[in-house]
Amino acid sequence: MIRSNAENLIRKSMARFVDNELVPKAQEIDEKGEFPRELFEQLGRMGVFGIRYPKAKGGSGGNCVLFCTVCEELARGLMSLAAISAMQSLMGTNFLFRFGSEEIKEKYFHPAMRGEKVACFCLTEPEAGSDLGNASTLAVRTENGFLINGMKTWVTNGPVADFYTVLCQTNPEKKFKGLNFFLVPADTPGLSRGKPFDLLGTRNTKICEIAFKDCFVPLDHMLGGEGQGMTNLLSILAEIRTMTAALAIGLQRAALGDCIRYAHERAQFGKTIANYQLIQAKIANMAVDLEASRLLTYKAARMVDDNIPCLTEASMAKYFATEAACRAADQATRIFGAYGYSMEYSPQRYYRDNRFLLYGGGTHEILQTNIAKWAGL
Amino acid sequence: MDIVVLIKQVPDSSEVKLDPKTGHLLREGIGAIMNPDDRHALEAAVRLKEAHGGRIVVLSMGPAQAIDVVSEAIGMGADEAVLLSDSAFAGADTWATSSTLGKAIEKIGKYDLIICGRQAIDGDTAQIGPQVAEYLGLPQVTYVFDIEAVTDGTVVVKKRLEDGYEKVQCDLPALLTVIAEVNRTRYPAIGNLIDACGEQAPITIWNAADIGVMTCDVGLAGSLTHVIRTFAPKGGRQTQMLEGDTGTVVRTLLEKLRENHLVLTDSGVLSAECREGKLS
Ligand SMILES: Cc1cc2nc3c(=O)[nH]c(=O)nc-3n(C[C@H](O)[C@H](O)[C@H](O)COP(=O)(O)OP(=O)(O)OC[C@H]3O[C@@H](n4cnc5c(N)ncnc54)[C@H](O)[C@@H]3O)c2cc1C
Ligand SMILES: Cc1cc2nc3c(=O)[nH]c(=O)nc-3n(C[C@H](O)[C@H](O)[C@H](O)COP(=O)(O)OP(=O)(O)OC[C@H]3O[C@@H](n4cnc5c(N)ncnc54)[C@H](O)[C@@H]3O)c2cc1C
Repeated sequence: MIRSNAENLIRKSMARFVDNELVPKAQEIDEKGEFPRELFEQLGRMGVFGIRYPKAKGGSGGNCVLFCTVCEELARGLMSLAAISAMQSLMGTNFLFRFGSEEIKEKYFHPAMRGEKVACFCLTEPEAGSDLGNASTLAVRTENGFLINGMKTWVTNGPVADFYTVLCQTNPEKKFKGLNFFLVPADTPGLSRGKPFDLLGTRNTKICEIAFKDCFVPLDHMLGGEGQGMTNLLSILAEIRTMTAALAIGLQRAALGDCIRYAHERAQFGKTIANYQLIQAKIANMAVDLEASRLLTYKAARMVDDNIPCLTEASMAKYFATEAACRAADQATRIFGAYGYSMEYSPQRYYRDNRFLLYGGGTHEILQTNIAKWAGL
Repeated sequence: MDIVVLIKQVPDSSEVKLDPKTGHLLREGIGAIMNPDDRHALEAAVRLKEAHGGRIVVLSMGPAQAIDVVSEAIGMGADEAVLLSDSAFAGADTWATSSTLGKAIEKIGKYDLIICGRQAIDGDTAQIGPQVAEYLGLPQVTYVFDIEAVTDGTVVVKKRLEDGYEKVQCDLPALLTVIAEVNRTRYPAIGNLIDACGEQAPITIWNAADIGVMTCDVGLAGSLTHVIRTFAPKGGRQTQMLEGDTGTVVRTLLEKLRENHLVLTDSGVLSAECREGKLS
């Protein structure tokens, strides 16, 4: 029986969305620096946020490969929207989907899938970045729930979110084993949001600190079994890293495409700069980086889909593709000459936005350390 | 309200290039897309379905690759798709295309409305809609840019004219051809696209036998027109620079224009006249 290939079909469909709705407006949206509410809602209506959840349970019935395909296309158009979308599809909703009661799903998960509620994910604290075991936001058991006290920072979507998935310590003596995730609705008394951070890149993702002062949540708001927080986080870590690698591929493609176009247009010394071997070398390197990133990333994505442990592959993909995205943006600022330094052209945005990829899901120093260990060091 | 939407897969370019030697379309390196007007036809159908209920069946005649446009149509909200695909359908002119589509619509059977695009960006004839309506003996309204109301077995639409519009009420079943102005199209839903690629996808493929036609009545064999030669018009230009003072240049220019049977019209615009055209 003849059938279309889902990966091709979704890629083509998302590419049309990106080419029509994002590429021509990305510069303007970035300059405004606001949370892109309308685009967010449109992605919700398109079922983008549900791509990695099964259809019978409110998702769109895709998988990690399709999720990465969508992340890649969106990132080619506008990294901040891609980041918001990835947060909504994975980290911000995953524990509600897996561990939330039907009531919680009805109230938060399904509206989040439809783009009616904004999700986010709170791990990082002022004193706990890479060292998550140091997280000290405390959830103390009361008779019928938990009281949460503490502070989270670098919360993507924090200023606009409707609910928060928060990593808390329930038993400091147990360190890692005392960590648990909690659902904290934005309207919980005692929850306050800090001022949005002034950021170098991805200026449409709004980020802030969130303070919790005696925030009460009922028992069923603990997402996952007691002491399972770190294990549950680990269970999606490979997918987080693979997704980040896919975002990096999108940025590489945007930079490479713009550079090729510009090299054909810009003439110096009587010919277009595409004729110069040093420009060709840069384009060639970007193309090789892109292809290598694709191979690493989609290999990891397929392993995620096949339930094969792949933290190593995913870490390599995230590390390589992100570094390649940084190189691509760097080269773009050179190929564009002075215009690469102007806020009117795209390379500056790629140059700023690529930095976003460096931290979340593990810094490259942490990744390199782990990769070396896994390699046998 | 049951609706059949006609959809054609076309090359992703309005500038179709021809092989100068064979006269065949050069399709290499050009992707294929849903004909832009047809996307609006489908959107119109989905909105009618949202307002009045019913089912949407999309119908496309094309090679196996056209599965992608019918899958996309499912993504946008069609309930079912039929792809007419058979090597016997190849090379159809507008007669063979519309009569084959007509046969398939007869087999689909149940419909209140057929909606097509006004024109395909490759074949460009804008004949299929009207011819399908004739074949099925249905009333038709072309160039529709607004579907105002569907009530009591009639549809009220606005049809674009060169210098205005016409409001038409038409009995159902009827056929409409729509232009892009009719609506803003939605993007397909990811979940529907995924479904359209699955084993259970509501997509059926019909060949000539399935719709009960003889292969000699469809495709190239069943076509009434036969293309003798296809060629791209020569777009080359010859430039001649006129020299001398203004008077001389203007005089020479006018002479040259007359020599080439080109005249200056009242509005001052140069227009190309036929060889035996009048000179002013
Ligand atoms: C745009 C953006 C969005 C973010 N969104 C979120 C979010 O939504 N939710 C959330 O919880 N967090 C978020 N974060 C925070 C992110 O997860 C952290 O930045 C990351 O975990 C690193 O922590 P840190 O910044 O405190 O760096 P630190 O851990 O303080 O590291 C500082 C430096 O030391 C290095 N380093 C640390 N430990 C080691 C070691 N053992 N070996 C070698 N080098 C080491 C690091 O690699 C880095 O170079 C976001 C960050 C950014 C920039
Ligand atoms: C190089 C070339 C030469 C041709 N020469 C001839 C010729 O000599 N004589 C002749 O009669 N025709 C000729 N055609 C037209 C060809 O037969 C048409 O492609 C075909 O019949 C459809 O007509 P159209 O593309 O003009 O569609 P249009 O009439 O412009 O399309 C209008 C609408 O009809 C529907 N529709 C059209 N085709 C299909 C389809 N296959 N499946 C489902 N819906 C459809 C769509 O809704 C579309 O928006 C030629 C085409 C080409 C590209």
